[in-house]
Parts: sequence; C-alpha cells; structure tokens
Amino acid sequence: MNGKRKSYLKSWMISSPALILIGLIVVFPILYTFYISLTNMNTYHWFNYDIIGLKNYARAVTVFDSGFLEALGNTILWTAVNMAMQLVIAFVIANFLNVPGLRLRNVYKTILMFPWAMPGYVSILLWKTGMFNSQFGLLTQWMEQLSGQMIRWLQNDVSAFICCTVVNLWLALPFMIMIMDGGLKSIDRSYYESATLDGAGPIRQAVSITVPCLKPVIGPSVMITLFTTFKQFDVIYLMTQQVGAQTGAHIHTVITYAYENAFITNNYGYSSAISVMIFLMLIVFAQLTGRRKEADA
Amino acid sequence: MRKVFALLLMICLIFTMTGCSRKENTASGPVTITVWHDKEDAVIAVLEEAVKPLRPDINVVFEKKSGMTESLKLVGNDKNAAPEMYFFAHDKIGVYAEMGVIAPITDFVDVSEQAGYVPITVRGAAYKGKIYQMPLYFETLLFMYNKKYMKEADIPATTEQLYGYMERKTKYGHYGFVEQHSTPYYAAGWIHGFGGSILSEDGKPGLNAPETVKALAYHKKFVDYMPGETEYATVNTLFTEGMAHATIAGPWFIPTVRAAGIDVGIAPMPIVDETGLPLAPYSGVQGLHVLKVHAETKKAPITAVLTTLMQPEVSNKLAKVSGCAPALESCYAQDDVKNDVLIMAMRSTAETAVPMPNTPELDVMWTVAGSLLTDVNMSGYEVQTAADSAQKKALELIEAMK
Repeated sequence: MNGKRKSYLKSWMISSPALILIGLIVVFPILYTFYISLTNMNTYHWFNYDIIGLKNYARAVTVFDSGFLEALGNTILWTAVNMAMQLVIAFVIANFLNVPGLRLRNVYKTILMFPWAMPGYVSILLWKTGMFNSQFGLLTQWMEQLSGQMIRWLQNDVSAFICCTVVNLWLALPFMIMIMDGGLKSIDRSYYESATLDGAGPIRQAVSITVPCLKPVIGPSVMITLFTTFKQFDVIYLMTQQVGAQTGAHIHTVITYAYENAFITNNYGYSSAISVMIFLMLIVFAQLTGRRKEADA
Repeated sequence: MRKVFALLLMICLIFTMTGCSRKENTASGPVTITVWHDKEDAVIAVLEEAVKPLRPDINVVFEKKSGMTESLKLVGNDKNAAPEMYFFAHDKIGVYAEMGVIAPITDFVDVSEQAGYVPITVRGAAYKGKIYQMPLYFETLLFMYNKKYMKEADIPATTEQLYGYMERKTKYGHYGFVEQHSTPYYAAGWIHGFGGSILSEDGKPGLNAPETVKALAYHKKFVDYMPGETEYATVNTLFTEGMAHATIAGPWFIPTVRAAGIDVGIAPMPIVDETGLPLAPYSGVQGLHVLKVHAETKKAPITAVLTTLMQPEVSNKLAKVSGCAPALESCYAQDDVKNDVLIMAMRSTAETAVPMPNTPELDVMWTVAGSLLTDVNMSGYEVQTAADSAQKKALELIEAMK
C-alpha cells in the first residue's frame, strides 16, 4: 500500500464517526421519509404496510390546491417581511452597540440575547397571553385605556400577521444581532478613518464600507434564517391555530397548511409524500438563492 | 491519544444506539409489568399501594411518559420497548385497535355491565364489538358557579334562563357565564343538547346535520356575551379571579378553584328550552389497556395486576384523589362517595353525557370542528355555509386517513 493511498484511507477513518452520525441524523430520516412515502403506512396498515408506488404523490397533488397556493404566497410574504426587518433592525442595533465609548455595552448585549435563552414555545405563549390576550394582555389594556375600545389583535388576518411577525422578530433578532455585531468588529477601523478624511458621512460609510464588508460574514446566517423562516411552524400555529386556542385568523404558511390538511390524518405514507414535495421545493429554492449569491459575488 | 478518543466516541455511539431497548424478563423469577401513564402522582400512589401485595412475584412499575400516545404508535409492537400496559383515556382505543397495538381486555378480566361497571364506561371501552379497556374512573364536564355572585335562585335550569342571566350580569368587566366556546370538547355539550353530533359512534361526521347547525346558531348568541378568547387559561382565570360567575369545566379544575378561595357550587347542566334535552358534554373514561405484544407471554401476571386493580376499594381511593367518578357501580353505595357532591354530580351528568367517540376519525375531527366553531363564533361566518364546508373537509380528511 503506497503512502498516498494510506493517507486517503486514514482521512476516511478519521472522518467516519462524524459521517456515520450525519448519515444517521440527517441523511437516514430523509431517505426513510422517501421510503415511507412509497407505502400505505397509516392507522389501518400500521405494521403491515405495503409498497404502493407513487400513489401517495398522486393524492398529494390534491393538497396543492388554491388554498396551498395562497399559503405559498403567505409563506413568501412572511419570509420576505421577516428577513427584511431582521436585517434592518439587527443592522441598526448592532451599529448602536458598536458606537465608540458606549457605556454598559455588555449589559445591553446580555439583555438583547435574553429572548434567545428562552424556549421558543414559552416565548410565543407568553406573548400571546401576556401581550395580545383580549382580557389580560398588556397591549390590549394600553389600547383600551387610550382608545376606549377592546382590540382583538389575533382575530383578523392582517393584525394577526403583524403580531406573529413581531413575535418572530423577538425570537430571531438575537441571532442576527450577534452575527452582525461580530461582523462589525471584524471590519478594520482604518477604513472608516480614511473615509472620514475623504469627507464621507456616516450614511456613506455604512453603505460603502459596512454593508460590503458585512455581506460575506452574514451570508451563511442569512441563508440559515431564510430557511428557518420559510418552514416556520411554531409561531403561526401557536399564536393563531392551536387546537382549543384558535383565534379566528386564517393565515396559513406552507407547513401549517400541510399540517392541517395531511399530517393530522395519521396517514404517514401520504404525509411523507407531502413532506418530500415540500423538501424538493426547498431544494429548488436553495439552488435559486445559491445561484443569485454566486452572481452577486 | 486521538485514536483513544475516537475509539471512545465510537463506543459511546454504539451504546447510545443500543441503549433504548428494555431488558426482557426471563421466563422464570419475578416478572416486571410496566405501565405507562400521564397521571398525577396522587393517582399513581393509590395504584402503587394496591399492587404492593403482588411482590415479589410481580413487580409493577408505573412510568410517567410524556408524549405517550405517539410513543405507543412507534414502539407498540416492539416487545423490548413497549410497556405491558398503559393508563389513559378511552378515546385512543380505536386508533390502537386498528393499528393492532392493544388486545381485548376481556381476554384477561370481565369488563361489562354485569360485572358491575357503570354503563357509560363500558360503552366508552368498546370498539367494534370488543372491550379494550378496564375502566378505573370517568369524568365529565360540570356546570360550576361562584356562590358569591350566583345565588340559589339564579341557578339556571334552562339555557334561556342562563342567557337572561348573562344579559343582566355581563358588564363592568364581569361575565355572567364563560366557557371554552370554540373548543370542540366543550361546545359538544351544546351540539348534543340539540341532538346533533361532531362524530357519531361509528365514525361519521355530523357537522352539517340540521341539529348541529341549529345548535351552532343558538350557541352563537351566548358567545356574544363571552370573551373573544376560547382557550383554557383565559376562561379559567376569569372564573378563579371572580370575574366570571359561572362556567363549564372538568373536575380537574376544582382544586385550582378552591385554592383561589372561590366558594364553588355544582349544578345540573341547563336544559335546552327548544329540545327539552340537557347540555350533554363528552365523558372521558380513564383506564388500563393491555398491549398485544405482551398479551400471550405475560397473560397470568397481567391478569393478576388487573384483578387487583379492579377492586372497589381501589376505585374508591382513586375517586377521592382524582375528583372523578368511580367506574364500578358498587362504589356508589359507599358513604364517602355518596356524600361527595362533585362525584355525585358527575354520576348524574353521566346519565346524559356522551362518551367521547373512540374511533380513529376523532383525531381529525378536533381540528375541523375547532375551525368550524372559530369560523362561526369568532369570524362571523354564516353557520350553514361554514358547516357545509367543514363537513366536506372532515370527509376529505377521513378519506385521506385510509
């Protein structure tokens, strides 16, 4: 065995535990979901299921009806609004945190990270009950004092969408602020000093120095957040659709729509087919976003 | 050093992957019977005490399991991972029976009206002609009122009297009556009061049946005097804070109400003026189920455990700690049960209560019926249109289950 081959084998040996783990945690569930999507596994054929080919896919197409298209539109809007707001707000806050001579900087940072330390489920229900509840919600009580009217924040689609966005921003901003803060610290201060000498103001410096320098640093985090937001389930479901706590709003994303129209049926074959189709949609979305990024670069 | 570390990681991985299985008892020696449950400690303490005499031959382990219903689906036929029994409400019987996870309980003990069980509990435990549960106790929703605000003369005998009370008393931040109006489990009482149903016993949805539509339209006028929220926390807090004079809630709510210092009274469900029928809530029957995978190999010890736990004295103790009604008729002859207002109110409501359907179709009905109630009560949709649309969706989802 020559040295090159030996080194090749050694690198595979060293990587194998990690590869096995990734295979088990990431690849296996995807392949297994695909396998289940080809079977009739449901309540009535739980342990004795058979392979039925692409029948589930043929049925799944029926879920992709006008309701699904509306949910897809909502999802795109939801993703776009949340991403835009996260980027802008996180950029502004991160810049404030990096103002030279700012006192108690670490205290502000700790406070801003706080929503990240809380479980999402708890945060969402706290917002729903503590802020938006029509009887006990803080926002409701303020509005009632100011306008004399009781506002049901989560009852109609537009205000429920805004409330869900606020909660999602609360949950997601700490991550983006942290990444941007790190990115800002990595920018060489001499760029700004030169720009100041050249007469560039704060806005010109932000547009011409900060943003271009931040782009490569925050790129991966933006991608992660983009996908997390696209396949978001918990915020919208818990705020408006949880069984026994529905609010009257009818905002569906792709995932909540699939949940309500397939996943609750206990038909794992059918639900898996829908999951695979959504997974393929996300792959296409990732490819398109990736290409655009390459073009930008 | 690195190699040793890598080796250690590999060993950990292998142990992690194999560590999920449960050790199987050998044929000889003491037998362990594991019971999964989701109940409070006081209830389990009664059961543990009752099975103590079976030791050392049979060791019964009660294991609290979060997400039990999903876990049973995943490992229900794996004899190394599945428990011998589980303790849960009857409404999942159809799902597990169809999946082939549970065995008929009559293979072990006699559960029937002749054996002394309250009829509603036997009805709840039956699925497609077979009995799958040994009932321990049952619960229904109750009409509760705050004695400070609602006097004896105000207690509504009919729904119109209740409506009149709500009209008079819902003001200045107070509510005459509150309930989880758009939650199917709670709204079912109104639907049954008109002779309608969310799901029939044989698994047929009845969301756009004329009786159901009539009930939804009638119920809506009560909702107009209730808060916008339908969830558990808001409704119950209004009652415990003394802002709501009456409510419909389960027996599990009583300890919280008493702890809040509310002088609570229990009254019969109001009668619907139009039909002459009382509001008839769902009842849930809690009991033990045996997993098929252990039914043959551990028949004798399982039978011994069930026989021990079906004794009336166990039911009596369970009734005291759970606040629910015993499943055995003979318990109602005991003074401590007879004198318990709460238990007797539940026993009386059980005469008209409807056992929650235990067919698999119920799983999809909670969501569809919840959406229908929200559409009618909170979004202001026209009742017949919303009911027709919900019925169509329910049928589609039921078809999609197959």
